[in-house]
Amino acid sequence: MTLPEIAIPTIDTPDLILRGYRESDFGAVAAFGGSERARFVGGPHDRWTCWRAFLAGVGHWALRGYGMWIVEHRASGQVAGRVGMILNDGWVEPELAWHIYDGFEGRGLAYQAAQAARCYAARHQGLDRVISYINAENTRSIRLAHRLGAQFESDGELLGQPCQIYRHPAIGDAA
Amino acid sequence: MSLALPSHRIETDRLVLRLPEARDIDAYVAFLTDPVRADGFGVEEDRPKAWRWFALNIGHWALHGYGYFTIELKETGQPCGITGIWNPEGWPEPELGWVVFDGFEGLGIAREAATRARQWAYDELGFTTLTSNIVPGNTRSIALAERLGARYERTYTNVQMGEDLLYRHPGPEALCG
Repeated sequence: MTLPEIAIPTIDTPDLILRGYRESDFGAVAAFGGSERARFVGGPHDRWTCWRAFLAGVGHWALRGYGMWIVEHRASGQVAGRVGMILNDGWVEPELAWHIYDGFEGRGLAYQAAQAARCYAARHQGLDRVISYINAENTRSIRLAHRLGAQFESDGELLGQPCQIYRHPAIGDAA
Repeated sequence: MSLALPSHRIETDRLVLRLPEARDIDAYVAFLTDPVRADGFGVEEDRPKAWRWFALNIGHWALHGYGYFTIELKETGQPCGITGIWNPEGWPEPELGWVVFDGFEGLGIAREAATRARQWAYDELGFTTLTSNIVPGNTRSIALAERLGARYERTYTNVQMGEDLLYRHPGPEALCG
């Protein structure tokens, strides 16, 4: 048995390209991870920790067959965030997660990215009615979860930290 | 987009050096969460963190084309350690690293594996020099570095380990003799 090739599909949306990782993406990932914006994903993190998370994001695809994409803003070519499915050790079930970077909020890009990733996961990765773990104080993320049709399911815990679990609706072949 | 994982598999008399596979995870977790054995390498505080280290090594292979091999004992097929070339963000330069898992010490596995990995890095990857970063007091590792012909060069501050000794290995020409 060997690890499969890390095949990260590319998904086009009107404003975004969801794609695999390049070394040149690290600067944007580290800038987000080191900023106050990362406080709801366990941060802010130092550059070393960001590097670990960046490479682990690549390895996740090899180990699980799915993972988080790099979100590229088509018009500017800039990295606007990461989105996709996470099942790190310690996660109870696969999670749809979205990180949107500074300067790309408030334009519906997170919605576009999360919807595309959720749809792909349901159709091609066998992951439907998925959850999102959200910090109870992360009101922007909770608003987006609601807009995506997700419903609060329960209070939970992730890596020892309290969080809320939102459940997304079934997408199936309808999306 | 695909990130091709290289399919390197190299051998010595007793060992196979191959890319990490999912079935190795428990052996890695046991090592990485062992505060004594992993002290000179980087201890992970729990299984989730060790799992992510395992994933990041695979990402390292995908992005750089090299990383840490799993060392497998031919006779039993067991993973018995790791060796390879490591070049994280903030590292002074690419290094040759090695560790041996619990129960496999004293068999010369680290020396056999690291010698082969170094040769592979020179022959197949085209490296012209290699270092090893060793924390002060890790006398076993320093002894092995010296047996491999490496020489102390300087002390510096490593982003992960803090105070660290940089050893430099003989280059490919020197090894060809």
